[in-house]
Amino acid sequence: MRRRFGAGFWIATAWISLVVAAAALADLLPIPGYDETLVGPPRSGPSAEHPFGTDGLGRDVFSRVVHGARVSLGVGIGAVVLGLGLGAPLGVLAGYRKGFADAVIMAVNDIALAFPSLVFALAVVAFAGASLRNVLIVLGVLGIPAWVRLIRGATLSFAEREFVLAARVLGVRDRRILWRDIMPNVAVPAASYAFIGMAVVIVAEGSLAFLGLSVQAPTPTWGGLINEGRTLMETAPHVVLAPSIVMFLTVLSFNLVGDRLRALTDVRQSGLEPARQSAPLPAGPGAEPVTGALLQVDDLRTHIHTPRGTVKAVDGVSFTLERGRTLAIVGESGSGKSMLIRTILGLLPAADVSRGGHVRLEGDDLTRFTPEEMRQVLGRRLGTVFQDPMTALNPVRTIGTQVTEPLRVHLGMSRKRAREEAARLLASVGIPDPARTLGRYPHQLSGGMRQRVTIAMALSCGPDVLFADEPTTALDVTIQDQVLRLIHRLREERDMAVVLVSHDLSVVRQWADEVIVMYAGKVVEHGPAEQVFARPRMPYTEALLQAAPRLTDPSHHRLRVIPGRPPDLADVPPGCPFRPRCAYAQDRCGAEAPPLTGDHDHLYACWHPTGSAVAGAPEGAESHGR
Amino acid sequence: MAGSGTAHLRPRDEVLLQVENLYVEFPAGRGRTVRAVSGVSFDLAKGETLGIVGESGCGKSSTARALIQLPRPRAGSVRLDGLDLTSLRGEALRRVRRRLQMIFQDPISSLNPRRRVREIVEEGPKVWGRGALDVDEVLEAVGLDPATAAVRRPHEFSGGQCQRVSIARALVLEPEVVICDEPVSALDVSVQAQILALLEDLKERYRLTLVFIAHDLAVVKNVSDRILVMYLGKTCELAPSEDLIARPAHPYTKALLAAIPGSGLDLPPADRLISGEPPSPVDPPSGCRFRTRCPRAAERCAREEPEIRPVNGGDHYVACHFPDL
Ligand SMILES: Nc1ncnc2c1ncn2[C@@H]1O[C@H](COP(=O)(O)OP(=O)(O)OP(=O)(O)O)[C@@H](O)[C@H]1O
Ligand code: SF4
Ligand code: SF4
Ligand SMILES: [Mg+2]
Repeated sequence: MRRRFGAGFWIATAWISLVVAAAALADLLPIPGYDETLVGPPRSGPSAEHPFGTDGLGRDVFSRVVHGARVSLGVGIGAVVLGLGLGAPLGVLAGYRKGFADAVIMAVNDIALAFPSLVFALAVVAFAGASLRNVLIVLGVLGIPAWVRLIRGATLSFAEREFVLAARVLGVRDRRILWRDIMPNVAVPAASYAFIGMAVVIVAEGSLAFLGLSVQAPTPTWGGLINEGRTLMETAPHVVLAPSIVMFLTVLSFNLVGDRLRALTDVRQSGLEPARQSAPLPAGPGAEPVTGALLQVDDLRTHIHTPRGTVKAVDGVSFTLERGRTLAIVGESGSGKSMLIRTILGLLPAADVSRGGHVRLEGDDLTRFTPEEMRQVLGRRLGTVFQDPMTALNPVRTIGTQVTEPLRVHLGMSRKRAREEAARLLASVGIPDPARTLGRYPHQLSGGMRQRVTIAMALSCGPDVLFADEPTTALDVTIQDQVLRLIHRLREERDMAVVLVSHDLSVVRQWADEVIVMYAGKVVEHGPAEQVFARPRMPYTEALLQAAPRLTDPSHHRLRVIPGRPPDLADVPPGCPFRPRCAYAQDRCGAEAPPLTGDHDHLYACWHPTGSAVAGAPEGAESHGR
Repeated sequence: MAGSGTAHLRPRDEVLLQVENLYVEFPAGRGRTVRAVSGVSFDLAKGETLGIVGESGCGKSSTARALIQLPRPRAGSVRLDGLDLTSLRGEALRRVRRRLQMIFQDPISSLNPRRRVREIVEEGPKVWGRGALDVDEVLEAVGLDPATAAVRRPHEFSGGQCQRVSIARALVLEPEVVICDEPVSALDVSVQAQILALLEDLKERYRLTLVFIAHDLAVVKNVSDRILVMYLGKTCELAPSEDLIARPAHPYTKALLAAIPGSGLDLPPADRLISGEPPSPVDPPSGCRFRTRCPRAAERCAREEPEIRPVNGGDHYVACHFPDL
């Protein structure tokens, strides 16, 4: 558990440990007995001798609260153990076996959950007699349905994971799978719920005790103490306050611990928020704005400060882009492609990021814009399409609401006009029956259709540049073809520029005019697409091209294998970052980082560039189908 | 009943694995059924690699899972050395499973996050006792350091390394057939090349028979001897790899090839070979299931399902009324 829990978690844990220890050692502590009367003057306030004061009979309130903890915690822990003990096996059975067992267990469970449980508890305790055992059993049994549901859910989610399937393929018996593959994974959510469950039970026991339906006097319980103290509210409020505060803190602590444990199992995504206070990195030799360039990116740098060190996700990237052209950014995962796009768009995780360099859109320096100004630019001048259309679309709002929103916000259209325009946009991205599609929800569309909708949204305000980050990675190849064709057509019609991020070399080969190859946050090669593909100069580009299988190669053709893997961006080796994997590396490569240089518009960062043409580059591939 | 036919199957005693008329169905709620696989047949000779391609939802993974009977197919037979797996129950089935192993697409989720890598690979030998390969030897064969594997958990490894762990886990039981379900789809180009090369080496070393499923035809061509093209639960075409790419006879195969960017093949643009989107497998089209997107579709295609038949002489098979010959 190397994940940070935060101070609250540790304070809560300390409090729970303190209360548990006090309850366990109550008899050994140097305090008066809980039922010893007149150990001090009745109704006296807190003092050194009696930290919580005394009650109406002169009993020590501190001692009574400590002894009361025994009942409250005892019932809390006991009821949770009982509920878990009976509920967990049923839940695991339902979740793992599914089918008939599941149907029966869940049907019974749903009926049980529909019961008004506290009323039921009151009735049972009133009937069977108020004793510690009865209260514990009733509260424990009442918790079972919730446990069954929780454990079943967790089991189901793991039973469908591939590692469980893999175990069954190995011929592992069910009992062993449950024990070794499912239980340990279900244990974390169960533990988090156990803490929250204890808080619930402590409150429930308190309520019963307050009504006199829990353990009977003289044994103190927190709820009972509050009940007794009621009559003294005016003269001696501490008699009520002390157990109330202790109970409140205990319940709060259990909830807090449970919550933090649950957060452990959540997979959080880093938020996409316009950066608030990203510290600027020292400016490099600032290039003058190129007149006429639509988008000019200049020595852009994004460094993320993590506990492992500084991750140089984008490290000195520059390029310019004109209207009507497509620039592709290729590289393997973790090379910084997405980070580059986010940096240009000003969408960075807010904390612990420093960024440097400039982004100029028709001369305006976007890095100087306030978040509000940036939001305006994002809606109107820069369009974005991401890999997973589902994250760009709100699942509970109709397509119509979402496509019309930018039109109304940025272009100030009336509702009626926005709807007409939205229908027109959907038609332009090839969605059949646009009027009906406006009334549908994202999940009712296929992946390809959803991606068309996000493209329509990105284009709604007529952006100058469309940023597409792996727009077709989640799609089938025939649908990919349709979507890329569409982006290309729209680029022509609207005279936009396109920045296309992709890990797929063949996509880039077909659709880009210009290519940037990224490795470890840096540009290692940059040039016209045909040139880079036909005659790569940087050994990494060459190796990447030879590593990708091609249809024109014979079956069982040996692919070029690049040994090793990309460096950890928090710890990039000195010199050329590709050196540990490079077949051409020499001494100089480890000592000095090669600059990005070259002839004309073909640039590469390498001390010993390759000169050979890649064997068998397919002819006519670039112009294919356009 | 018009199925996709079995004309392409070889005599039973010449093959190691024979799959005949496989049907896989899932309940889709409200009494409806997803027809994931409908009458697919194929076979594998010992030492052969069969590639299966098709778009998402065409039934590739359902076919793979039906082979290992997880879940059991609704109909059809899966014969391993003549032994029909669909007729086996309980202990007999469990015992035969070790002869068929599987490698999954998602390298991370196919490994239990709470166990150490070595324990994951040892699981098979633990369950089966003797008769398995040496764990350290297999770890080294897939390019992992046994000492590191003994102390690390899956999340401390990269995607490519996790896929190596999956491969080791499958190999250690000395299976006869390994079913690879999109084993490289989640990996980067350079890692993909490493894993493909590893699979080829291991195939040689352990004399494996492979079923290799992927959506990327270039990858499938690279590793396969023969390729089966599937569409919406049906077989379209089956041919030796080179032949399939050089002379695709089924309209869908052609569209699939044309859609690959920069393929270098001489084909018209894909949007002239295929239109629209795949229909729902809950309610597949009558006759030929591809007809709603096929530029050649004629009235006969809606009425009558095409039977698989040999074309181009030799071992090229296609299920289409109007193939491109
Ligand atoms: N919020 C973050 N905190 C710390 N590091 C991050 C964060 N986001 C990204 N990184 C790191 O930045 C580097 C670049 O990430 P990025 O997502 O841009 O890569 P990518 O090339 O787009 O990869 P992929 O193809 O997998 O999307 C990686 O090393 C990644 O781990
Ligand atoms: S600079 Fe050296 S190590 Fe880097 S790519 Fe060029 S030859 Fe290889
Ligand atoms: S049978 Fe008809 S619809 Fe089906 S692929 Fe052949 S021509 Fe097309
Ligand atoms: Mg990315």
